[in-house]
Amino acid sequence: MVTEDKKKELLERLKNAVIQYDEDTAKEAAKEVLDVGMNANDAIFNGLVSGMEEVGRLFEAQEYFVPELLMCADALYAGLDILKPHVQQLDLGVKGSVVIGTVEGDVHDIGKNIVKMMFDVAGFTVYDLGRDVPLDKFVEEQLKTDSDLVCLSAMMTTTMVGMKKVIDDLRAKNPNVKIMIGGAPVSQDIAEKWGADGYAKDANNALKDAINMISSLKKLKEEAEARKSR
Amino acid sequence: MIKIISARDRVMKLFGGEEIDRPPCFSGMGNVTAEGLKELGYKFASIHLDARKMADSSATTYKLFGFECGVVPFDLCVEAEALGCEINVYAHLEDILYPTIKKKIIHTEDEMDIAIPSGLQHRGRIPLVCEAIRLLKKDIGGEVPVGTYVLGPFTLAGQIMELNDLLKLSFKKPDKVGRLLDALADAVILVAGEYEKAGVDYITVREMGATSDVLSPRVFKGLILPYLKKIFEKISVPSVLHICGKTNDIVPFMAESGARAISVDQKNDVAESRKKLGKEARIFGNYDPYNVLVAGRPELVRETVRKCVNDGVSAVWPGCDIWPTVPPENFKAMMEEIRKDGR
Ligand code: B12
Repeated sequence: MVTEDKKKELLERLKNAVIQYDEDTAKEAAKEVLDVGMNANDAIFNGLVSGMEEVGRLFEAQEYFVPELLMCADALYAGLDILKPHVQQLDLGVKGSVVIGTVEGDVHDIGKNIVKMMFDVAGFTVYDLGRDVPLDKFVEEQLKTDSDLVCLSAMMTTTMVGMKKVIDDLRAKNPNVKIMIGGAPVSQDIAEKWGADGYAKDANNALKDAINMISSLKKLKEEAEARKSR
Repeated sequence: MIKIISARDRVMKLFGGEEIDRPPCFSGMGNVTAEGLKELGYKFASIHLDARKMADSSATTYKLFGFECGVVPFDLCVEAEALGCEINVYAHLEDILYPTIKKKIIHTEDEMDIAIPSGLQHRGRIPLVCEAIRLLKKDIGGEVPVGTYVLGPFTLAGQIMELNDLLKLSFKKPDKVGRLLDALADAVILVAGEYEKAGVDYITVREMGATSDVLSPRVFKGLILPYLKKIFEKISVPSVLHICGKTNDIVPFMAESGARAISVDQKNDVAESRKKLGKEARIFGNYDPYNVLVAGRPELVRETVRKCVNDGVSAVWPGCDIWPTVPPENFKAMMEEIRKDGR
């Protein structure tokens, strides 16, 4: 049995490896977690993810910039790759899947990649379509993967209007899917006007909203099924 | 008595450090409008591929609204294309979509040691842009200054390789990135030289990839500034360094680059920058091209001109490309307001 002290030490190492974007230490610590028989979920959430939360804070405080964020994410993924196969069930209250991409005509993908990372961290299954994504592709991918959520990013006022087309099209084909939009020119107002379910100004809020949306979606589904079987 | 004989005269005197009657209102970045395209009957996608259309579209912003310059091109892909990237102009779509890079030339770290193709200045659309500069000079060059832009080496690097990789390598392998930026600085110098030969009056170097929204001031100073200096040393016409987004912490470095003027956007506190850089520095900016010029009411358009001037800009200049959908009445209001300062 692993001692409390050892556990603490490993969590601390995982956390710091992420903060100091040290992939090697993240890998080593993750392996040790498995060797000593510590719980993988615990290591992910109280080690790696808790490091990433601190990174988010450093980013907001402008002590970290985008390159640091990307390197921290690499360290996190390095640990995650080792731990994930040993997770019984990632339990966040919800398990979700999400289609994400930057809309056609827009190559600004730095923000989208950060949002994507948050979903990865939280254990979502992410289908990343990349940038400059033809509008039909979002609908196609959602139908193919039956994802709970579609996230659209746009950084320009001209490409932003493409989101409305995707929203209308998705709604027509699959009224139940949740849609979230973001990017600098987008606002809560626009999201409401165009009928998106959510908007978030940054990656942290995006994740929180997404979790709420998906839990409500799951509840609806369960209720519907319960009604059917009655 | 200050005697200004044309908008071009005013801008050139400003660059030369002479006294002028009022700040000019112009730009070093793209400024084509949907209104201008309508007048000419051109599709947005077509004006990037034809020198005549490019020049004519650019000139409409002066002709219709009195904007005090003509600038070509409109997209950020020219140098990358000459280096071998493939571009997409979205010819199949009616909407205004800006050209993007479809295929990059560097895919792995090992491919970063690139050689600049010989005769770079004759490749891709560089001859086309030169021709557009000549046409534009002939058309409106007597009245307004004719400008063009090149990308800064870091922003150009982000066009020819995956930006995520570039950002990470800036930390992990700064030497390697430095070598690439050095080569790209040479490329930019070649291209800028060709534009000078075509007769351009001023050149803006756009290094928006290095904004403090993305990159720390420390990396900017250590890794990027040296290559910007190298470029500005070689540009002989008046030059401007443009960086959008957060720039308050890097304006002193920008001013050190050797550019004749620096250009910032609405996220910069110009009053503060003016204090930092002193009376003599040429600071262009920081007019919000979308939230004010496109989406604002004419009153806000006018107030914003006042604010820029009061904060101490040397030229009222949009923080990025003029957005094509600008309402004509807003554009006119902006120009009317700045002209009030004249006489
Ligand atoms: C870097 C950059 C570029 C790079 C992009 C490289 C890349 N791979 O991303 C390059 C040089 C290629 C580029 C090109 C152009 N650009 Co540019 N660019 C920028 C810049 C400087 C930074 C953007 C950025 O990455 N910010 C940092 C990230 C972290 O923030 P973010 O994207 O906002 O993301 C956060 C949130 O918005 C949110 N979020 C984002 N997506 C989503 C999605 C969801 C679902 C949710 C919930 C949340 C969310 O969470 C993120 C994390 O907190 C901005 C100006 C600026 N300082 O913002 C201009 C800017 C976006 N560009 C602009 C322009 C005009 C262009 C060009 C058209 C220029 C031209 N003449 O060609 C071209 C467009 C090419 C094209 N067709 O796409 C304008 C757009 C203006 C407008 N009215 O729309 C801007 C705003 C500059 C300006 N001041 O006007 N650009």
